[in-house]
Amino acid sequence: MHKNFFCFIIILFISLQPVFAIPLITVSGYIRDAKTGEDLIGATISVRELSSKGSASNTYGFYSLTLPSGQYQITAQYMGYEPQIQQVDLTQPRKIDFQLESHENALGEVVVTSQRKNDNITKLEMGVQKLDTKDIKNIPVLFGEKDVLKTIQLLPGIKSAGEGSSGFNVRGGAVDQNLILLDEATVYNASHLMGFFSVFNSDAIKDISVYKGNEPAEYGGRLSSALDIKMNDGNNKKISVNGGIGLIASRLTVEGPLVSDKGSFIVSARRTYADLFLKLTKDTTFNQAQLYFYDINVKANYKLDNKNRVYLSGYFGKDVLGLGSTFGINWGNSTGTLRWNHLFSDRLFSNTSFILSNYDYRINITNGIELNIISQIQDYSLKQDFQFFSGTNNTFKFGFNLIHHKIIPGVITASSTVDLKTLTNKFAWENSLYVSHQYSFSDNISLEYGARVSVFSSIGPGNFYTYDSSGAPVDTTFYGSNQFVKTYFNIEPRATFNYILNQQSSLKASYSRNVQNLHLISNSTSGNPTDLWIPSSNNVKPEIADQVSLGYYRNFNDNMYEFSAEIYYKYLQNQIDYKNGAELNFNENVESQILFGSGRAYGLELFLKKKYGRFNGWISYDLSRTERKFDAINNGSYYPARQDRTHDISIVGMYELSKSWILSATWVYNTGNAVTFPSGKYEIDGKTIMLYSQRNANRMPAYHRLDIGATWIVKKTPKFESSWTFSLYNAYGQENAYTITFQNNVDDPTKTDAIQTTLFRFVPSFSYNFKF
Amino acid sequence: MRKNRTCLFTILLITVFMTSCEKVIQLDLSTTEPQLVIQGNIYDEPGPYVVNISRTVNFDQPNVFPPVTNATVTVSDNEGQSEALTPSTPGNYVTSTLKGIIGRTYTLTVNLDGKTYTSSSTIPEAVEIDSVYLKKSFFGEYLIALNLNNPPNKDNYYQVIHLVNGKQIPGFSVFGDNSDQFESISYSFMTANTIPALVAGDSINVWLECIDHPVFEYFRTANRNGGRSASPANPVSNITNGALGYFNACAVRKKIFIYPVIKKTP
Repeated sequence: MHKNFFCFIIILFISLQPVFAIPLITVSGYIRDAKTGEDLIGATISVRELSSKGSASNTYGFYSLTLPSGQYQITAQYMGYEPQIQQVDLTQPRKIDFQLESHENALGEVVVTSQRKNDNITKLEMGVQKLDTKDIKNIPVLFGEKDVLKTIQLLPGIKSAGEGSSGFNVRGGAVDQNLILLDEATVYNASHLMGFFSVFNSDAIKDISVYKGNEPAEYGGRLSSALDIKMNDGNNKKISVNGGIGLIASRLTVEGPLVSDKGSFIVSARRTYADLFLKLTKDTTFNQAQLYFYDINVKANYKLDNKNRVYLSGYFGKDVLGLGSTFGINWGNSTGTLRWNHLFSDRLFSNTSFILSNYDYRINITNGIELNIISQIQDYSLKQDFQFFSGTNNTFKFGFNLIHHKIIPGVITASSTVDLKTLTNKFAWENSLYVSHQYSFSDNISLEYGARVSVFSSIGPGNFYTYDSSGAPVDTTFYGSNQFVKTYFNIEPRATFNYILNQQSSLKASYSRNVQNLHLISNSTSGNPTDLWIPSSNNVKPEIADQVSLGYYRNFNDNMYEFSAEIYYKYLQNQIDYKNGAELNFNENVESQILFGSGRAYGLELFLKKKYGRFNGWISYDLSRTERKFDAINNGSYYPARQDRTHDISIVGMYELSKSWILSATWVYNTGNAVTFPSGKYEIDGKTIMLYSQRNANRMPAYHRLDIGATWIVKKTPKFESSWTFSLYNAYGQENAYTITFQNNVDDPTKTDAIQTTLFRFVPSFSYNFKF
Repeated sequence: MRKNRTCLFTILLITVFMTSCEKVIQLDLSTTEPQLVIQGNIYDEPGPYVVNISRTVNFDQPNVFPPVTNATVTVSDNEGQSEALTPSTPGNYVTSTLKGIIGRTYTLTVNLDGKTYTSSSTIPEAVEIDSVYLKKSFFGEYLIALNLNNPPNKDNYYQVIHLVNGKQIPGFSVFGDNSDQFESISYSFMTANTIPALVAGDSINVWLECIDHPVFEYFRTANRNGGRSASPANPVSNITNGALGYFNACAVRKKIFIYPVIKKTP
């Protein structure tokens, strides 16, 4: 099966090779930051003589252009950097690298009109948001922490799952339907402290791309989005330190060359110390409490020679919650990636990665006896990607990915006895193969099409059950180690089409199918670290999403303003919900508690951004609907999913008041999520019980909030930079509902009240930042 | 234990980030037709036994639940006993001769307005309360706990009810041992911080009921009613035809515990 595919690819190459009388010659190389040596991802390369021909650098800063022999002026450009032009007389293959100088005052300086870019019009990608790390640094967020996940929730189509939650919903999808990658390793739980902070230290991050469901074929495994985060490689010219000391957390990054211009490293760490404040209380319960998290990102890379480069990166993070020596819980992710870039030729780029990804939580209770609970998910993965730059505007991407999953749903041990309870471990192979082709038919029309083939197998060792309609196990079969239990084979076609109307505007359309084989079992509102991932199996089918989208993109005032309008429709199959009264915790038969149904989501996203000037920012508006349909719920008719919110508005503004002061503000508004409220009440054994009829037939109150912030740049010289950032979250103290619960009135038990809990109002924060 | 874990997160986090607040709000909630609520208990001690039938009210109405007085209620067992219950106080229907016997399956039939609601429950083996005592939680507060000896080789489910000075404290305390097979179980069911607070000399009457699995499921899911679930739902009732409530045939053992004088640590 796989062999046939490879043969097909080779034939495809040969047949699509343009056969010209004039010989074609390749110019290729790397595009880097002149000061730090960092590879620039997605920098554009254009050729003046062939006005529509161009390319972009890949994830490792590599570009390749194949042109007829001749003399050319080649320009490399990247947002926030001075463009660089090189003349080349192309008679034989050439290697030309570009070192781009960054603009010192990227925000404030008036950017020359000709340098403003209309990538959003001409680039083929659709439904993707790219974030510049400069964007993130100036936006006020919760507790003054610069948070990648909170920032993307200000973009259209991406919504927070709830106040204080790092989980997010993309185009109506559930929080587990987002593929979060940090240097190609999957991050299972991207939040600290139940969602108040994300695990990404923005000091270590180079590039963030979010695909809202129509990702290219090289991504797969989750239905609704792919969030691809690339870490910095480290300054390979000189040692650089930057960090910050803040009210809630502090961070430090050290980077530098291993061998000048050949290799570099970067180490980034961050820790909160909320528990230090607790030590000040007199309450003996709380002054022994531990409450902190930390993140460490480590990366090193080395250029072996002109054709080979290796990278080693790792992430380690943990949250710790504890009460003296009697109770403790910790959870965290750790990932490790070893990558090898190899240039087979100046047109064939290859990357091979070995990836480890681990997420676990551990609970320890000492109350007479010592009780330990552990749960873990562990992945080993091999990923191979090829990019073949066949001609200019003609690129093939293909590769494969093999992942072995091991899930330990739960092991309970007690010091007095042996294993109290052990749930059967689950194992699976998630393998995929993809091919895609990016091609421009003419100056106006370009197309990226391809397919991903995913093969998911549930394997032994372990017990596999079948259940009757009431959920009781009727059959238990034991499979031995590496025996295949159930295999699901899926083809996921992907296609994006771009029609450039003129240099100011374009139309894009796309279709994609995504398949997901790991499912998060959770029945809480914001997601707990103790939620469980389960693989597809003989009882659980893969989730499938088909999405079509259409968009219109228009720039104004010489690319000063960017506008887009996108509509989408998504159809979901094999969606998961739970039986009434489902027992999801430590249940060997958790698969019997699941209900399967379908869903759909559709909406309109409007986005207007001012990219340049002393004042810049954006407005985004979403009008959307996301619904589910389960036989056992609401009589099998479509009902709003919990994450359904009709209107969602985000307004972000940044203003450079002077060379030393930058002010920023964000305002968000959304109508309430769908929620189930009581429709009556009654009494059982003296206790008032709420009566529920329709699921999700009510709405939470509307939510809105203003955050303001200011950055004071104290000193900025090539040798040393320092600044203070101040922020105020929920500046006008709006009492937004975190939860609404129902209970009898404390003073008058004949009445029942609805009680709203608000989490945060007026939360100030400040931090001191330095760089040298 | 699981509930404690979740409570612990919420408590720790909300206390630390002490800028949160709570307030009562007015909500415009939808209403439905009043629904039927049936509650009945059969014990393995002499009766009479009571079945209570009432209706639900809208959320904004006072907690006065209209009794249903015109129902026909019958309880029978699987060995030929059967009795039509007589109405006593509004909403209550009582037995006179029916006896609860361990091992028998009792069937409740309620006929009202042309609709029939039935339920079945079997009285399991009785389990004695070994002891009731005071203990300290790892938060340092006092809990009341009981010990029992768990019969081996079968699934056991229990409900603990307690009355303070004759008045039942509302709340559902159920636990079960369906696969762990512990020999002896210690179960804490009450903190000393109830309202009104317990004082030395208070008489606490502790009932240990041995219940069957459907009744255990009912009270387990009824406990979630106020929780932070993403999809709140009605408890899983063991009564047919959409009636709310439960029918519980159980074996009960009782013990009185007098709340002791607690020496305050200096």
